[in-house]
Amino acid sequence: MNQPRVIDGREMEPPEPMEATLEALDTLPPGEELTLLLNCQPHPLYQVLRRNGYTWTEAWDEAGTNVIRIRAA
Amino acid sequence: MSASLSFDQAPPISVPLRFFLTAPLFLIAAGLALLFTGGDALGSRWHPHTLGLTHLLVAGFMLQAMTGALFQFVPVVTGGNVQRPKRMAGVIHSALTLGAVLLVAGFFTMNPDLFVAAAFFLGTGLILFLLVVGMALVRAEALGHTLHALRGAVFSLLPTTALGIALALALGGRAAIDPSRLLEAHQAWGLAGWTLLLLAGVSWSVVPMFQITPAYPRLLTRYFAPCLLGALGLLSAGVLVGIPLLVVVGEMALLAAAAAFAASTLVVQARRKRKTSDSTLLLFRGAMVCLLAFCAMGALGAMLPSLAEMPGPPVVMGLLLILGVFVSVICGMLYKIVPFLVWLHLQDRPAESETPPHMNKMIPPLRSRWQMQLHFLSLALLLPAPWFPLLARAGGLCLALSAGLLLWNLMAALAIYRRFKSRNPAGAPHRES
Repeated sequence: MNQPRVIDGREMEPPEPMEATLEALDTLPPGEELTLLLNCQPHPLYQVLRRNGYTWTEAWDEAGTNVIRIRAA
Repeated sequence: MSASLSFDQAPPISVPLRFFLTAPLFLIAAGLALLFTGGDALGSRWHPHTLGLTHLLVAGFMLQAMTGALFQFVPVVTGGNVQRPKRMAGVIHSALTLGAVLLVAGFFTMNPDLFVAAAFFLGTGLILFLLVVGMALVRAEALGHTLHALRGAVFSLLPTTALGIALALALGGRAAIDPSRLLEAHQAWGLAGWTLLLLAGVSWSVVPMFQITPAYPRLLTRYFAPCLLGALGLLSAGVLVGIPLLVVVGEMALLAAAAAFAASTLVVQARRKRKTSDSTLLLFRGAMVCLLAFCAMGALGAMLPSLAEMPGPPVVMGLLLILGVFVSVICGMLYKIVPFLVWLHLQDRPAESETPPHMNKMIPPLRSRWQMQLHFLSLALLLPAPWFPLLARAGGLCLALSAGLLLWNLMAALAIYRRFKSRNPAGAPHRES
């Protein structure tokens, strides 16, 4: 079984989290999920995901981290 | 970086850039005005040249940068889309630019017709801006206190505009109003409600994001906007019904809120996780020190009214707040926003095309540091100028040079965008125009 793919962008300076996420999506096997950890809502990334047929969910934990799970629709 | 995904960034890059590239022209004009008029513009806050200079900064430089930033910031941070951004930005930009030029010309010539024309163009531009950005903010998807602060700031633009139009019509001889009663409220809504609240709301997001700091204290982000708007309400009520105590209480609450914001910014910056110091961080830090100095002088002026009645201290306070806080922070933000925009819009390129440079390399760091040093040198020269008028010319020259360098730095990022687009012309067309 493949390792879960997680990008921790909480200590990255924009646009590094978006660069890393889009690179990872290029090689994401069908049916798998990419998790992105951020301290904000990345609306520019959401625009790109929406336009390219990805879906995502958001869940905020108690530490204020936005756990974003992305997969192909 | 992915080359297989398509990008559809709204708004088009020309929407914010037209504002960002016009703003430094007003700052250059402010420097030249100081250079040629000398100490007149800093002798007293009520001198027409002082008011002309002030409006070159607030209705010229700051308003251009802030409207441009909101056209970009609202979709990026809140997810709210401005309808027909290119067309609306074109009309709003033209009206605000022309209105600011007419207003400043009015102050320098005291020609009543120029004030009336300025009221028409600035009023039209700002009402359109309030409609399109206000609607986007109402529809925004984002959560949290940044959105509340942005809504409060845009709301505050309404009384600022209404009072400003009334004052311009009074100066143009078309309204029988005593300007002295409205000035206090116009200044307070413009500088605290519209500008400081926008700065704070943007900072809640941008400082932790770009400077890798911890989040601002929740107490501050939750209560800053309601406290500021409540204080403005008290101050306005005091002005309207003529109760000086309400005005003083409102002013003290504004100063306390501003000092809390400045101190918190310095604390979160000191606890940043990457200990590098770029121009943006240093401009922000200098701005927050100026804001604390402004608050201290404001509190001192309330305790010693004779100090506030002297011509020099209010001018120093104005320089600290407008040039020291707002112009500094806007320069710092532009050094992040413009390269980010260029980077974002260059992602929409063919798969085989070359990779654009790293965002932090688009404006040479050494050049942004020179600009920052010239900017702070101009402030250091201008602060004592009410007592040493010769310094006004030297400060004006430094300000004009610093603003010219700011424009050159922003153009460097734009040149990269143009070069890449001309070499790699393919890409999905933007929706809407």
